[in-house]
Amino acid sequence: MIIKILGTGCKKCKELEANAKAAIRDLPGDFSIEKVTDINEIMNFGVMMTPGLVIDNVVRSTGKVLSAADIRAMIAK
Amino acid sequence: MKKNNLLWLVLAFGIFYFLPVQHPVFKESLFNGFWLLHDYATKHVLLCLVPAFFIAGAIAVFLKSDSILKYLGPTAKKYIAYPIASVSGGILAVCSCTILPLFAGIWKRGAGIGPAISFLYAGPAINIAAIFLTGTVLGWELSIVRLVTSVILALVMGIIMGLLYDKKPQAAGSVVANDDESTGLSPWETGLLFFLWMAILITGGLKIAPLLKTILIVLSSLGIVYISFFRMKKDKRNEWGAEVSSFTLKIMPLLFAGVFVAGFISKAIPQSIVQQFLGGNGIRSNLVASVFGALMYFATLTEVPIVQTFMNLGMGKGPALTLFLAGYSLSLPNMIVLFRLMGVKKALTYFSMVIVFSAMAGFAYGNLF
Repeated sequence: MIIKILGTGCKKCKELEANAKAAIRDLPGDFSIEKVTDINEIMNFGVMMTPGLVIDNVVRSTGKVLSAADIRAMIAK
Repeated sequence: MKKNNLLWLVLAFGIFYFLPVQHPVFKESLFNGFWLLHDYATKHVLLCLVPAFFIAGAIAVFLKSDSILKYLGPTAKKYIAYPIASVSGGILAVCSCTILPLFAGIWKRGAGIGPAISFLYAGPAINIAAIFLTGTVLGWELSIVRLVTSVILALVMGIIMGLLYDKKPQAAGSVVANDDESTGLSPWETGLLFFLWMAILITGGLKIAPLLKTILIVLSSLGIVYISFFRMKKDKRNEWGAEVSSFTLKIMPLLFAGVFVAGFISKAIPQSIVQQFLGGNGIRSNLVASVFGALMYFATLTEVPIVQTFMNLGMGKGPALTLFLAGYSLSLPNMIVLFRLMGVKKALTYFSMVIVFSAMAGFAYGNLF
């Protein structure tokens, strides 16, 4: 599962990234977390409000800093 | 890493060594910095900034941004997109870090470069906390004029950029929006919540008997607590709390630093210099203010104490407005990012428009009012 964090580098994006890392810790399966900071790439996902969370190339959330628990719930779906 | 720290230490030592502690001006400036901090802490923080931060947090969490983004999308009518772009800054980009992605999105995937520029300019200007702080510290005339002129300038600049640079409609990208927007509150209750916070803000500023003020504020607070804890969904309430604390943590330290610096320079800079470059309402003062505002980085809200200081030192009303108009949306670091994002030609067009129009607006205001 490839998790991408979309954001230009502000505090919220860093928080989301940290929460994502916490979410996948101890979870069975293959996970990788990528940070996307290039504005053009962010736009290609159709995300206008950062931070954005993308799981396996599907945008799951924009504009919010999800907690590790929320992210884990999304992974499970 | 250690070398860097060592260098900073040497720099700090150098500064402390050469500190002009004997000069009375230095002592006065230091003291004034603290005095202004105390002034702000007693007059503006509790009754103006705290409610404003809660309102800003509420806007970020409760107002449905996707319905607004719809109006800025690729199929939106231009005559709707421009006005919406010019006023929705306060709702869409409560956190300043999302302004650039939103700008890029509206430009490349949405309504086009015109509305995107309107949003880019007006976004930072339509900031609830800033509007209220400007009003309480500098007077409501300046605050309202600032707001209205920002919107007008946003529209004008956006339309000009649109006319100059808009190509045929680009690839219709879809805009992804948030799905979980339910708050547990009916629209009536949401409205009441905003109204109660505004009531606290406004009552704080009214000149009425202290007893009456306290009663009104306590009543409003009770209403807010009731709605927040007995009506609102827990998730949303926590989200709201998180937004408020993140603003506060981000903005208040910078504001305190800005207030101290403003107080300090109030006594450190000779009045004659300010009057020479920023005094009165002539073209030169407005242009100086415009360029200075455009280049300087002002953290949200720090403009207010700085403009306050300059005005006390003799800056005219016109240049004050100009400083606000040019200051909020531009700064050297953000100009560099925009150069890379928009390309030199478009960026230069935008920057020169901001500088010229801000100066013109300030000139008009200073001389007509």
